[in-house]
Amino acid sequence: MTSTLEQEIDGLAAAALAYASRFERIDKVSWPNGARIAVNFTADFDAMLLRRLANESPLQLAKGEFGGRVGIWRLIELFDGHGIKATIFTPGRICELYPRAVIAAAKSGHEIADHMWEHHVPKDPDLERDHLLKAAAAIEALTGKRPVGTRSWHTQALLKSEGFIYNSHGSEQHGPGYAYDAAGGNVLVNLPFHYAIDDAMFFSMSWMRSDTLEQRISDPDRVLDMWWAGFRQQYDAGGYFNVCLHPFVSGRALRIAMLDQLIVRMKELPGVWFASCEDVARHCLAQHPPRGGHF
Amino acid sequence: MPWKHGYTISDEVGIKDAAIRWPDGKRMAAHIVVNLSLASGPAGITRADIESGPAAFAINEGLDLLLAALARQSFPVTVAVPAVMARALAPRLRAMRAAGHEIAALGVKHEDTSGFSRADEANVIRLATEVLADVVGERPVGWFTLPRQLDRYGVGTLSPSTIELLLDAGYTYFGNGLADDAPHYWVTDPTTRRAMLALPYYYHFDDQHFCMFPAKGTGLENSDMLIRNLRAELAAQWRRGRYFTMVLHPQHAGWCNRLGPIDAFLADMAKLSGLWMATGRDIARHWLKAHPPETNLALEPSIWKDYPGSLS
Repeated sequence: MTSTLEQEIDGLAAAALAYASRFERIDKVSWPNGARIAVNFTADFDAMLLRRLANESPLQLAKGEFGGRVGIWRLIELFDGHGIKATIFTPGRICELYPRAVIAAAKSGHEIADHMWEHHVPKDPDLERDHLLKAAAAIEALTGKRPVGTRSWHTQALLKSEGFIYNSHGSEQHGPGYAYDAAGGNVLVNLPFHYAIDDAMFFSMSWMRSDTLEQRISDPDRVLDMWWAGFRQQYDAGGYFNVCLHPFVSGRALRIAMLDQLIVRMKELPGVWFASCEDVARHCLAQHPPRGGHF
Repeated sequence: MPWKHGYTISDEVGIKDAAIRWPDGKRMAAHIVVNLSLASGPAGITRADIESGPAAFAINEGLDLLLAALARQSFPVTVAVPAVMARALAPRLRAMRAAGHEIAALGVKHEDTSGFSRADEANVIRLATEVLADVVGERPVGWFTLPRQLDRYGVGTLSPSTIELLLDAGYTYFGNGLADDAPHYWVTDPTTRRAMLALPYYYHFDDQHFCMFPAKGTGLENSDMLIRNLRAELAAQWRRGRYFTMVLHPQHAGWCNRLGPIDAFLADMAKLSGLWMATGRDIARHWLKAHPPETNLALEPSIWKDYPGSLS
């Protein structure tokens, strides 16, 4: 008879393998025109919503407000100046707070994708659906296009039923692939990002409700070096690089300058495909469909 | 804007670089704030804060060294002072004022008033204003609520009443706004358009967040990062023709390993063309004239809708 501890070993080991098996990698991904790497610049346009959700102080909200009044415009200008199509993950409520910026981003050809109605996913399934529909409708009302992508904790079955094709939310693998739900269905394109390539980890105090004693703020020179190393590794390997930005963080003048340097260096190399997440997702579906069968 | 109470304090789109006008055709404005508080946490200055090595250094050698570094470049600065420190350093403050620096308010003890009643907070503002007026010989026009190292958030603290009370008390500007990196208007009532000018602040340009942060002994010394942040922001904002600000404390910026790089940074600032080095008072005076709220604050009705199951 096996002991409780032995059963626990078996249970956890099986769970680890089962969870990892939900993510399917694309081996030897090929990009359009023989590109070596696809780069997704993504911006989570929370502004002050997450701060408001956490009931933070007035000046914390003002810190986020910078993203809506100033930062988003600078990111649009930066990407437009480089001819880059970015993906702006936009909470539905932001459409009510910053309609002009959302419209301007869409007009420039950037993808406006879902980032939840108010930056959280309700546990109640009916309310969850209500939130997703509200967010999608808010984006569609401003841009004329219903989002097909999300960066969220939304239930995969719900996303699938509402026509979403990808989620850019995890770090299960470097490159794009496919994510299945626990029952092995509802497959979505998985466009991973990582907190190490996320501006808020280096530049936003009290991010994710951290305490003062846990703060770790950095400087643009140091972060540029780290991100360049990440990009270069994926470039050499032939892969994918997803940069997660926040307008209230990266919209600060010193970081726009840092991103400009990063983009200029990337463009010096041949075979870098700057694309929106939707473009990458559709390319993967067309060229590297999921092995698990019907999408 | 669209305006949304509890979410936004100013209008929907910040002023564009090209629209900003600085005096005499200057390219950009730079505002240095010297923070004379010794408070380590939200309670404001305590006996333990005062009876410490860094405190003794701050009000003697540290202050001498920092003021000398600023004087080498003839930079006027805004000195943010809690009433406690104004009493302790009265002759020095008068000398700073005479040297062309501005003396601005930083509470009575640099306390966090976010949990105070409106009456108690009004009393803090009244008392701090009176003490500064008595020491310096003129009422302060700028009010700061800068963060302390052990604050929950590194942005400064406000109650829901603070800005209204400052307007009531006749203040011209609020010193640590975060919704823009140029001066902007903090609207307290969108109907009447009552608003206060806010001058920018950002924690990456405040020495305390890189100097043995958040507390001596256990904190991290990242003053090299501070300097790289300051240099990167100054260069970027100079290209935009916008605004630069930083906050320096004698106990942090005055210590040897930080003072040298700060000194070099100030010398490089002085070499920049078209830089308008000014006090908060002068910047506020200029901004209110060049970019008054009547023509620059674009407030529109909110399109926000309340729904069941959503935040209001």
